[in-house]
Amino acid sequence: MLPTRLVVVAGVLCAFSPTAWAASCCGGGSAASLIMPKFAKAMMDVSIDWEHYDGFWDSDGKYHSDPPGSDLNQYRLNLAYGHRLASRWQASVILPYVWNSNQYAGLTSKTDGLGDTTLNLVYEPFDKIKCVWRVRNWEDLKPAVYYGVSLTVPTGISPYDDVTNSFDITGRGFYRLDGSVMLDKTIYPWNVSLLFSYGKYLERDVNREYGKYVEPYKKQLGDRKLGTASVGYTYFLESMDTLTFTLAYSLLQEDAGTINGHPDLTTEMEKKSVSATLAYASMDRNWIFKGTWGHAMPESGQGKNFPVTDVFTIRVSHVLR
Amino acid sequence: MFYARLIAIIALLALAGCKGITDDLMPSGEDKRPDVEAGSNGTQVGQLSPDFSVQDTLDNTRILSDELATSDGVVLYFNMWCPICDAHTSHMRSSIMPDFPQVRFFLVDYVSGSVAVSRAAQLSNGYASSLVLVDADQSLFNMYHASMGTTVVIDSTGIVRMNEDYKDGVKLKEILQSLP
Repeated sequence: MLPTRLVVVAGVLCAFSPTAWAASCCGGGSAASLIMPKFAKAMMDVSIDWEHYDGFWDSDGKYHSDPPGSDLNQYRLNLAYGHRLASRWQASVILPYVWNSNQYAGLTSKTDGLGDTTLNLVYEPFDKIKCVWRVRNWEDLKPAVYYGVSLTVPTGISPYDDVTNSFDITGRGFYRLDGSVMLDKTIYPWNVSLLFSYGKYLERDVNREYGKYVEPYKKQLGDRKLGTASVGYTYFLESMDTLTFTLAYSLLQEDAGTINGHPDLTTEMEKKSVSATLAYASMDRNWIFKGTWGHAMPESGQGKNFPVTDVFTIRVSHVLR
Repeated sequence: MFYARLIAIIALLALAGCKGITDDLMPSGEDKRPDVEAGSNGTQVGQLSPDFSVQDTLDNTRILSDELATSDGVVLYFNMWCPICDAHTSHMRSSIMPDFPQVRFFLVDYVSGSVAVSRAAQLSNGYASSLVLVDADQSLFNMYHASMGTTVVIDSTGIVRMNEDYKDGVKLKEILQSLP
């Protein structure tokens, strides 16, 4: 039962999962790419996530299953829009809407609300597409590099809002600033990408917990680190539409936070996961359809202090040239 | 077209604001706890807690007044067998409980709905030696206006000394050290 708090945590993570991004500099839908293709003017992206919960890892990394009869799910509708500001700059906004549907032991709960919004700014220090068909010289081996800055805005409903219980929650309640770098290289038909991001939550005042006013204190969540590596293979159909299959591995960690400056070890967490994505792109790469399965292993040693989940995502992206 | 999209996004944010998100966008550190008359009946800090009777996972009846009569105080931790609950209770077990042998610590299971299911959850989560109260009808949960992780401290005179989230356990320790 999720501790809706945890649902939210897991849901928020998706804002930075590889599948949250839609295309690559070449277009066509590498799973780990971060932005709209080079030379595109704008991009619209709609995705639906179904996240199913399957137990959790405790703070020692030991796996615990949920009680019999539990059925914990979160559904998210993510609306995203990206816009090219200049030849090397692009910005985007991701707006999620969250539905929680939980049956846990003797409790049933269904709630919904806006999630936390993410604003992204990306710089591409290159002017030509880095995807090649054949390596003719060293220049052809250079990857596309993207530097990103993201701001998570707490537009969701958090434990510190005027809510009556944990089931009303759809956001974490903290601003977070992330810096990221992604390297993406395509030598057709293969694609490899690496993504690293480092996030810092901003400290905030808290004077209410679940609708109940408490003695005010200052709280800050721990720094957040995410690393993702992916490998993809693109198959060209006769029509020159493409099918791209991508496998990815991600490691996510959050350090201990602080309360009034004192370490709060109860907020440390870690999650390892793998994902598989199948992307179909039209010949002009203006339409991309994706299906992704993200999986965390329900066994000890694969995470800490975090729920174990499977995430199924269907995504449609439209690139405006 | 671009402006239409921009307006749509702003409108969505504005709508969200109507649902009360502004508390997170502009957090307040102002102390807004309501004034309570010390010693009056209630579950807020400073009030005299109502007595209660509830089953534990060994099917014993636990009565608050009886527990207070034989201890320095009672701690109630509202638990739902989740990662955060486990982090809190593990910390409480290792860092707080050993220092306060005269205080009675209870995990309050408000989600399992029955003694049998609660006992099974207790054992499977490794809390066999803990005292677990089965709040089958969520009467304690509602009475203390609790949520996941809420920690209530009641001193031996029945006065509520703490009623808020466990957080890092620092405040719980300070409160327990100040018990008469």
